[in-house]
Amino acid sequence: MKNTILCGKDIHKTFTQSGEETQILLGIDVDIYEGDFTVVMGSSGAGKSTLLYALSGMDTITGGSVTFKGQEISKLSEKKMAQLRANEFGFVFQQTHLVSNLTLFENVAVAGFAAKAGNAKEIREKTDMLLLKMHAENAKDRLPSQVSGGEAQRAAIARAMIGNPGLLFADEPTGALNKANSEEVMNLLTELNHDGQSILMVTHDVRAAMHGNRILYLEDGKILDELNLPPYGNDDLKARENNVLSWLSSLGW
Amino acid sequence: MENKILLKANLKRHKGALFGIFILTLLVAAALGTVLTVWTNSENYIGSELDRSGYGELTAWVENLSDWAGLKNSIEALDEIGRVETQSLIYSNYTANEMESDSEGQLITYIPTENRYRFFGDDLSGYTQPPESILPGEVYVSPSMVSMFGIKLGDEITFPIARAGKNLTLTVKGFYEDVYMGSSMIGMKGFLISEADRATALDLIHNAGIDALSRDGAMLHIFPAKESGLTVSELNSLLNEQTALAEYTESVHSKDAIAGFMLILQNAFSGILLAFVLVLLFVVLIVLSHSISSTIASDFVNMGILKTVGLDSGRLRLLQLLQYGIPASVGLIIGFWLSVPLESMVINATLTTTGVLIPATPSLLFMATAFISILLLLALFIFIRTRKIGKITPMKAIRGETDGTVTKITKPAAFGSNIHFRLAFRQLLSGKSRYIGAFVVALLLVFFASLVGRMDSWLGPDGKGMMDAFNPADHDIGVQSFGELTQEEFEKTILQYTDITDTYVLAMPTASLNGISYTANVIDQPERFHILEGRTCTADNEIVITEFIAANFGITVGDTVTVRGDSGSGEYIVSGIYSCANDMGDNFGMNREGYLKIGRDHPNLWCWHYFLADSSQKGAITEALESAYGGDIHVHENTWPGLFGIISAMQALLVLMYALVIVFILIVTVMTGSKILLAEQKDLGIYKAIGFSSSNLRLTFALRFAIVAVLGGLVGTLLAAVITDRIVSSVMKLAGISNFVSHPNFIGVVLPMAVVTLFFAAFAGFVSGKIRKVPLTVLVAD
Repeated sequence: MKNTILCGKDIHKTFTQSGEETQILLGIDVDIYEGDFTVVMGSSGAGKSTLLYALSGMDTITGGSVTFKGQEISKLSEKKMAQLRANEFGFVFQQTHLVSNLTLFENVAVAGFAAKAGNAKEIREKTDMLLLKMHAENAKDRLPSQVSGGEAQRAAIARAMIGNPGLLFADEPTGALNKANSEEVMNLLTELNHDGQSILMVTHDVRAAMHGNRILYLEDGKILDELNLPPYGNDDLKARENNVLSWLSSLGW
Repeated sequence: MENKILLKANLKRHKGALFGIFILTLLVAAALGTVLTVWTNSENYIGSELDRSGYGELTAWVENLSDWAGLKNSIEALDEIGRVETQSLIYSNYTANEMESDSEGQLITYIPTENRYRFFGDDLSGYTQPPESILPGEVYVSPSMVSMFGIKLGDEITFPIARAGKNLTLTVKGFYEDVYMGSSMIGMKGFLISEADRATALDLIHNAGIDALSRDGAMLHIFPAKESGLTVSELNSLLNEQTALAEYTESVHSKDAIAGFMLILQNAFSGILLAFVLVLLFVVLIVLSHSISSTIASDFVNMGILKTVGLDSGRLRLLQLLQYGIPASVGLIIGFWLSVPLESMVINATLTTTGVLIPATPSLLFMATAFISILLLLALFIFIRTRKIGKITPMKAIRGETDGTVTKITKPAAFGSNIHFRLAFRQLLSGKSRYIGAFVVALLLVFFASLVGRMDSWLGPDGKGMMDAFNPADHDIGVQSFGELTQEEFEKTILQYTDITDTYVLAMPTASLNGISYTANVIDQPERFHILEGRTCTADNEIVITEFIAANFGITVGDTVTVRGDSGSGEYIVSGIYSCANDMGDNFGMNREGYLKIGRDHPNLWCWHYFLADSSQKGAITEALESAYGGDIHVHENTWPGLFGIISAMQALLVLMYALVIVFILIVTVMTGSKILLAEQKDLGIYKAIGFSSSNLRLTFALRFAIVAVLGGLVGTLLAAVITDRIVSSVMKLAGISNFVSHPNFIGVVLPMAVVTLFFAAFAGFVSGKIRKVPLTVLVAD
């Protein structure tokens, strides 16, 4: 029996523009389990990113509730939410979103300080260790504008990991990368998951989605279906790919 | 049409920044219009009123002369003289509201048909019809008596005409405009009285004989002949050489000198404010510069797109010019328009200090010139600052290139202990061009606030700085006997209160130097003079002169001059330049032995000056001496009633200046801060995403401005410390003060920087409230 780490109940999200309302999420119920690599897929405009940001508390919801480790986060104060993001959540975005005037090392370390992940020495050591693990140690003293997209994204994963998050959110983490870099980033995420890291990722890339052990399919603001897989690497990759593709095909992908 | 559409869109898009420009230019124009109008109108008005009220090119105040007509005729007989007009008066000390005057008053007989004076309504809000006559027992005074003595209608002023209590007590019936002695900067005051009271006073003087305390006298308004080519100084010299005028002269002043006395306050404060307004104009340029850079950065893509549809750089720059020119022009027009009621307010509010109601009529030509000059300056500046637009290409814009990409690592590291401070410092250094404006603004504002603060500290809470500048030598209290009373007698009274630690004697007779009449400061201890250059006059053939006399005559240390007193004349060597702002620097100093070679000695000539062990006893000693010896004695402290007006004006100036400083900081911070926040939306989102709260981010944002303000403030404070004394000395020379040296205390040094830093940080904190509204979805927008 898996432990639920994040629970969304009857999540609604409506955008209003020029007085016109557009409903994006139509009452979603979803549980995210500890240790899982959960992937959200769906067609363009289905509400994948909206769901990710609603579940992570990065955006407000119009209705329903989101609970993380038993605590309802949709009602947390701005300060408490910031603490939660610092200590329990990690984020990886499609664009790397590194602070432009900080080096890669500093981008990671600053997040460590925000998460109070130790004293200054410990944070420096941990930053070095994470950058090494993410194969970004050679670029650590460069600014985001001076490194490749892959290096920047790997540093962004290191930044997301420095606070030992309970859950790592990833929004199209390979969306802006070439094939080689995408492969490397996904392998790193998989490695983190195998080390016990819970991950919730949104993607439209089947190759990326295959790294998850649970895939949710979103359509018109609702979860249409889900596919459970064995941990990535424990099965035949070709068969895994065919399995995912036929499942997606059955959903009209 | 497309220009109209684009301009309208730009005005809408940048409305916040443009509103800031509007407010700044409005404030600058309002202050500039007010200061310049007050300044120029004061000068014109005093000049024209001196002409209208019959002051000659030279006016001599004479006394104790039995044959007025003879002296007048002998002056008029000179070829260089056109005519001489006489106004009779009585010199007398006076007491108002239990305060004894420091200088003599002049009781001037009011002759309605002469139409010399203008009268104020009872509430001092404007002029009223002159009285048909002044009744016996009534007196009209200058409005400056309000600030100097707290005078109000119905108060009594007592003039001790002779000993044994023979006083003339008059009731204040109204106020008149005295364009010669009306300013509170001038100790001497004029009193308009009736012919009957003049007759009464003259009777008392004549009957009292040697017991008379007041003196009969007159003003001789001397007009040069039309064909005369002599300067006023040459005219003065001619009169001293060829007539008996010098023997009866109390003082002689040119019309320009009189205007100079009257305008000291207006000129000094207008000068300071004008300098401040120029600083503010510079601040406007800095803010404008920052705003233009930010606008170009944020509109980079739009401008590139507009270029793809055929708009050239010239057109885009013209649109920028109009975008900023419109709010600036509107601000300037409204500001200059607002300056008209402001002028009236300033003039009315300062009437009881300046004594004159300067016309508030603005000069349209002058306003138009100022408006066009500032507008041209702004236009030129905008034109230069928009050069970057020429470098925008459609491809650059489409690729999303801007100048804002950080490519250089800035130390120190943005982590470690005190992360908020380090982050703020790092953000500051990596985006320093965004903060240069705030830095320079902080520097200028702190510099100017420090400068005025140093002036205030020089003045001191009791005006000691200014008194020391006006006195030839320092002292706590001065006592002059007019009768038989001896030094030993009044010293006994002083010693009942406190010990006397030091003493010297000083006389201030009129004497001529190279033919021109000046006040001679004669002292028995010449080492007490404030020497600026050379040495003091220790020998009996030496004198010291002020910088102003040195400049007037083109003489310096080592030169020889002729000095004439009331018993002879002699050659004297200038041994040094000294500082004494009395008579706007028109005076010289001698030692006692030197003066007695050319001047008559008399016990009553000398004023005893004392330094007291406990100077707080000054007031009590003055009161005791006056009540014990009445009219036989004149006591003065190191102050004069007009000083309080100046101290109040200086404090009002400080308050006004700090208010303007705060408004400017608010606008600069709001404009700069808003642009920075807009540019940093994504970074703010990132920081929020990794766990920084809005409070943390607001703190780092406010810290950035605090750091900028501290850095700017430090430079401003240092600059003020280095150049204030030089700058202020050059301005103070207008008032005859040449030894301005400020010694502010620690709080005085730190206060401007602290205030500026505090407000920068506070307003930045206020502006950063927008951080709360930065959604994390800003990171999704890509």
